[in-house]
Amino acid sequence: MSGRVRIKDIGLRGDQPLAEIDTDELIPLPPPYDNPGGTIQELKPDAAERMVCNLDGVVALSLPHPESPEEERALVDHFAEGLKKLFTRENNWSFLQPLTLAMEYCVGCQTCSDACHVFKASGQEIYRPTYRSEVWRRLVKKYAKPNGKLMAPLTGADVDLNWTTISRLYELAYRCNLCRRCAQVCPIGVDNGLIAHELRKLFSQELGWAPRELHEQGTVLQLQVGSSTGMNQVLVKDNVEFIDEDMTDETGIEVTTPWDKEGADVLLIHNAGEIMSWPENPGAFAIILNAAGIDWTLASEGIEYDGVNYGLFYDDVQLARIALKHVSAAKKLGVKKIVMGECGHQHKAIMTVADRILTGELRDVKRVSCLPLLEEIVFSGKIEFDPSKNDFPVTLHDPCNIVRNLGIVEPQRRILRYLCPQFREMTPHGVDNYCCGGGSGFAVMSGNNFTDWRVAVAGRMKFKQILDAFADQPGPEVKKYVCAPCSNCKGQIRDMLQYWGALEKSGITYGGLVELIVNAMVDVKEPFIKWEMH
Amino acid sequence: MMSGSIPLAVCYGLLAIFVVAFLIRSLKIARLPLHLRWELAPVPKEKGRGRYGGSYLEEFEWWKKPREESLVAEVAYMLEEIVFLKALWAHNRRLWWFSYPFHIGLYLLVLAAFGGVLASGMAAVGVAGLGWGILPKWIVWVAGVGYVLTALGALGLLASRLADPKLRLITTPVALFNLVLVLAVAVTGALAVTTVPGSAVDAVAFGRALLTAGPVPHMAGVLTAHLILAMAFLAYLPFSQMMHFVAKYFTYHQVRWDDRPLERGGAMEREMQKLLQQPVTWAAEHVHADGRKNWVDIATEEVPR
Ligand code: SF4
Ligand code: SF4
Repeated sequence: MSGRVRIKDIGLRGDQPLAEIDTDELIPLPPPYDNPGGTIQELKPDAAERMVCNLDGVVALSLPHPESPEEERALVDHFAEGLKKLFTRENNWSFLQPLTLAMEYCVGCQTCSDACHVFKASGQEIYRPTYRSEVWRRLVKKYAKPNGKLMAPLTGADVDLNWTTISRLYELAYRCNLCRRCAQVCPIGVDNGLIAHELRKLFSQELGWAPRELHEQGTVLQLQVGSSTGMNQVLVKDNVEFIDEDMTDETGIEVTTPWDKEGADVLLIHNAGEIMSWPENPGAFAIILNAAGIDWTLASEGIEYDGVNYGLFYDDVQLARIALKHVSAAKKLGVKKIVMGECGHQHKAIMTVADRILTGELRDVKRVSCLPLLEEIVFSGKIEFDPSKNDFPVTLHDPCNIVRNLGIVEPQRRILRYLCPQFREMTPHGVDNYCCGGGSGFAVMSGNNFTDWRVAVAGRMKFKQILDAFADQPGPEVKKYVCAPCSNCKGQIRDMLQYWGALEKSGITYGGLVELIVNAMVDVKEPFIKWEMH
Repeated sequence: MMSGSIPLAVCYGLLAIFVVAFLIRSLKIARLPLHLRWELAPVPKEKGRGRYGGSYLEEFEWWKKPREESLVAEVAYMLEEIVFLKALWAHNRRLWWFSYPFHIGLYLLVLAAFGGVLASGMAAVGVAGLGWGILPKWIVWVAGVGYVLTALGALGLLASRLADPKLRLITTPVALFNLVLVLAVAVTGALAVTTVPGSAVDAVAFGRALLTAGPVPHMAGVLTAHLILAMAFLAYLPFSQMMHFVAKYFTYHQVRWDDRPLERGGAMEREMQKLLQQPVTWAAEHVHADGRKNWVDIATEEVPR
């Protein structure tokens, strides 16, 4: 591990990494995952020529070098402008109060550090929740406050604003999952996750810098084509038709998905990634909702078939554009409520963060999580279940956006306690859970060697928790299931289980909640859960 | 023993700065615009659910049911935090051992100060002499214990800040100055209580002088130093990060625990509509801002498909 890094080092020696990760120094995992404790591929030898790679030997963002000193200066100046805009009412009313509180009242107690899974897994100074925040704070004090430079020796604002600082800070803004576990333990209520979020906004809204996966291939593509998967309206209907056919074949139950049904009680919006990568999830939803006699529909208008809203992670403008479209289209279709599929950030974006910009008639459409709906259905007696069909070890991952951020904790547990005889909790769990390491868009980001980092470092605590939850039957002969009712978490858990070979070594697979519900249905004769990596 | 006095104008100046700056800074936070929802579990007021971090969003059709909130649970949570510094106890025990006496010491000093103001008031209107009037004698002890606890806590915090590398990482000169200032106030206070005979009577006489604009009495040097330092501390407080006790109200009540949904036709909706009318000047290309378009224009603009 590199020596003690000081806050001001972020702006110094830009030709070298600020820190280096030695995978042997990461917190140990139980055997057979202890030796080696993970590898992070080295960057290609010419990487430093092509892009900025001076943070930690990992590159998520592939930021090109500026072409001239003039361009470099202009970008740095731009950043300084953005720093000021973060504190203006017009430009940032959306988070001005929590941001100002986070800016001015941290007492530097470091209580938050031990709550952060990224720091805990690595012990790296630069991954402390406070490192990023304090760099930002000192920049604000020095460059965005009156007499900032004059007062700097007293205020301790010793970070220089230069290309090295902003390029490293950009990458560092993407070493935080925005999970807000640190904010929960802060005695003052300072939110370091919010600071990372606001930094990402500054880069995106002022400099136009954002990860390709979240911006060009994310929100921009979604607004243009309808979905960040690239599926248009025709393709999505075709794909769902295939899924219906597959489900019918597999279960012997006639599965049909209704589309664009005006005035339906429930408009279900999936993360479209489910349709592409985990078709059994939308399939299972259709089976359950049909069996329970729910008046439901999917919608193909605009972006209505993709609940993704990556704007939540990096850009308020894109967040607002997408959320407004989601709810306006639902209003047009005349549905009573939007039910969020198993996607955490979709829950948070549409249900709470965008709540206050949905004014006037948009409020006619209610927005609700699928989890309480599934709970109602499971306990309604409308479907017959045989829990012994789920008699294998099951543990539950709590998606931060649903649990810590929205407080939806118990419905999913009541279902699992009823339908899964061998359900066991992770430690800690519920609102104290650890993020899977894929939060805030990481699960879809895989540039250069970033996947290795997000699995071996950011996902480490979660993987350890999963192994610990199954420690009573560690061998591969006992098949085990990690239930993660969130698309992005599933993507991360899949990458994690594959990286470590956990299906072969420990018999661990993963999936959503609805798959377990269908697997326990008496009417479904063949096992619905496939013990394979998918 | 050295002795001294303090010009009344200096006292009034310092106290006026405290009052005005305190109000301005608090109002400034309170007046920040409505923000997007950013709640964080646990929200203790959620009746029956706050305990495990649940919220009303666990109900399927929550809008059809009355919101059930428990003021008792919320107040209990706050009291635990204020009286025991529970978050620090639970998550940072090492620092709690210093931070706790520090804060309890300060609470006791605030209590004693109120006692002092009351006694001075009574002396000023003549219902009591220069003493503690109807207040119990042990109020002096409250102050004494307060000084000692605060001083010990401040010393411990100062030592931790200097010795513990993870604290040193983000410790600024101002943060050290703040602790030194509190330490100086507490040490001079402790010395005044223990070494100056009749210091409590002198302090009440000083308070009476302030209230009646009468002549400030001549006092022992250490007591004079203490009173000047204490008033300087008050004047400085609103400009410092030590205002976190005010900020904490807002981080909890207006951010973490504010899970109110917007109501159609309500005050919040009206405020939001005003906020959305503000012009946007973010410079990135995809924002399409020109300084005139407002948030509604920008967020509802159609992207060519
Ligand atoms: S953010 Fe909170 S917990 Fe972290 S150092 Fe600051 S005050 Fe302490
Ligand atoms: S939000 Fe989560 S990932 Fe980010 S610093 Fe806090 S605990 Fe760590």
